[in-house]
Amino acid sequence: MNNSNVISDNLWEELEYSQEKSETLALKHRSYSGDVWFRFRHKPASLLGLFLIFFIILFAVFGPMLSPHSYEKQELSFVNIPPVMNVFIMGSDYIYVTKNLKPIHVARDGKLIAGLPRIKEDLSKKMTSYDFNGRPVFVDFSVQPLELIDPDGNRVTETTRVHNKTYLLGSDKLGRDLLTRLMIGARISLLVAFIAALTNLIIGILYGGISAYAGGNTDNIMMRIVDVVSTIPLTLYVILIMVILPGDTGILSIIIALGSVYWVNMARVVRGQILTLKEQDYVHGAKIMGTTTWNILTRHLIPNAMGPIIVTVTMLIPSAIFIEAFMSFIGLGVSPPMASWGTMCNDALEALRTNPYQLFAPSLAICLTMFGFNFVGDGLRDALDPKLKGR
Amino acid sequence: MSRYILKRMGMMILTLLLISVLVFFLMHAIPGGPFTAQRELPPEVEAALNEKYNLDASLVEQLIDYLGGLLKGDLGPSIKYPGMRVNDFIREGFPVSGRLGLITILFVLAASIPLGIVAALKNGKWQDVLTMLLATIGVTIPSFVIATLLMYVFSYKLGWLPAFGFDSPLGYILPVIAMGGYAMSFLARLMRSSLLEVMGQDYIRTARAKGLTEYKVVVRHALRNALIPVITILGPTVAALLTGSFVIEKIFALPGMGKHFVTSITNRDYTTILGITIFYATFLVVMIFVVDMFYVLIDPRIKYE
Repeated sequence: MNNSNVISDNLWEELEYSQEKSETLALKHRSYSGDVWFRFRHKPASLLGLFLIFFIILFAVFGPMLSPHSYEKQELSFVNIPPVMNVFIMGSDYIYVTKNLKPIHVARDGKLIAGLPRIKEDLSKKMTSYDFNGRPVFVDFSVQPLELIDPDGNRVTETTRVHNKTYLLGSDKLGRDLLTRLMIGARISLLVAFIAALTNLIIGILYGGISAYAGGNTDNIMMRIVDVVSTIPLTLYVILIMVILPGDTGILSIIIALGSVYWVNMARVVRGQILTLKEQDYVHGAKIMGTTTWNILTRHLIPNAMGPIIVTVTMLIPSAIFIEAFMSFIGLGVSPPMASWGTMCNDALEALRTNPYQLFAPSLAICLTMFGFNFVGDGLRDALDPKLKGR
Repeated sequence: MSRYILKRMGMMILTLLLISVLVFFLMHAIPGGPFTAQRELPPEVEAALNEKYNLDASLVEQLIDYLGGLLKGDLGPSIKYPGMRVNDFIREGFPVSGRLGLITILFVLAASIPLGIVAALKNGKWQDVLTMLLATIGVTIPSFVIATLLMYVFSYKLGWLPAFGFDSPLGYILPVIAMGGYAMSFLARLMRSSLLEVMGQDYIRTARAKGLTEYKVVVRHALRNALIPVITILGPTVAALLTGSFVIEKIFALPGMGKHFVTSITNRDYTTILGITIFYATFLVVMIFVVDMFYVLIDPRIKYE
């Protein structure tokens, strides 16, 4: 006989009847927001997304303050230095030879000290001599891979790999610190995300709400305007606004373009919600009691449509970040020396063959941010509307 | 039905007209003429240029002139390339973008719908988890990041596929994957969720109770309804893919429409920007119209008055 089927004797005992206990709930009572939070935090992906977003915010806000470098300062002697360098061992220090055949003095701990001053270039022997602590060293580029020859004329054979401690993620083609630029890029992405959320929450909700509530011809005309606005590519708005606003760094154009047209999807969602909600009895009740249209809209209808609205916002934020990166990538977004993840990817594309590390950092940053927002969006959707779970 | 089609067509033409007028005025709101440059032109030359491109006429006259040209399918001359017309750019670029787009659409359809169906039928099993994982990655990572990473791995590191151009048919592989990745993932997710919902309906249980084979239940009964949301999204997706994703064309150095659009932006070639935008918008509006008509074919429940 199966043991689990045996019911122990004490379970058969009669319980004491009491007036108070009969009304208590077996489960702890949770408010609606508590319920949403409960469902949200029981999904590992959503929590991971929340953590990612939190980390990116910290990175963007405090990163540039802590960084010893400036995002626009160019250090032309330290151009295109990777985060992990293959170095030649020279006595107590290292020498790193860049892809442009420039030797750089590197300390034991991986800090870049200085580029070696050039003494003489001998093109016929394909050899250049440099001054290393007062003695000449030679970079021999007649052979592949290139070789370093020490002051005594011997080939330096000892090599090692060392992490770049000056530029943790390496430097770009103008000798700027990639990590600091990544932080500035994060600021731009978050700024765009914030603006997108704000316009959606204000213009999108009010536009969609008014359109649906007014109904009839007003609704028809307002929705045709939405159709027209959504047919014109956003690229075109950005170009136009950029031309009309000369002398700005590009970020303002993107913000204005996003702010003026990015609410159309939200307007459609809100309209759909309000159309069903406005026929509910409590709305008719409010109307009979003489509540103003504005109050019905803002006190009754919009709060009830909040679930889909929040989900739409979390879905639209990553696509706004994507639009900014995309615009900057095709050269329409922020202009140099400002850094955006899109421009960083574009710069890296030019030198993909020789310096692939320049592509990985901004790509990873974009992907992680998108993952973060998407995961939170998915989690919120499941939490706010369990019917849609897994869709 | 025919009244509905006529009404929709009227709406479509009105939308297109509105877009043309709006874009036209936006273009003319830009301060400085198209010939404003670093080096100032002699007044006679500028006057001659303005006359040639009819820029000295009043704005309304120019608009009527432009719309008249649009009716005849003429998008006007390019301002920056003398002798070239916007139609030439489209004639030159659209076949390239269109062919790439067509291959991408076929790839997207061939991959996303079966994947979505498998994921829905194997709900919760490893096939589902794997498909959804891939789809989440595809929806999240921007196309230009996918494109550059694919290019780095397959062209530079492994050397299997060409990094740019269409010299060999192999050149299509990377652009198609990079361009179709998002649409594929999105459609697979949509297909899965829509099929899951349909499979829970009563008529599916009835079909099973009748003793139909599982194949017939899925293909004859479930798919037909589950495809409706997919078709809704398909219209704009097809338009976007056919007209070309200029970022993909830029990365893989393909001579499509996107290239002309980007160069016209950097050149401030207003008429070309205007023309290509209107071409794109027309394509989109027509595609949405076609999709709406398709609804009636696939779903007899939808009736138009």
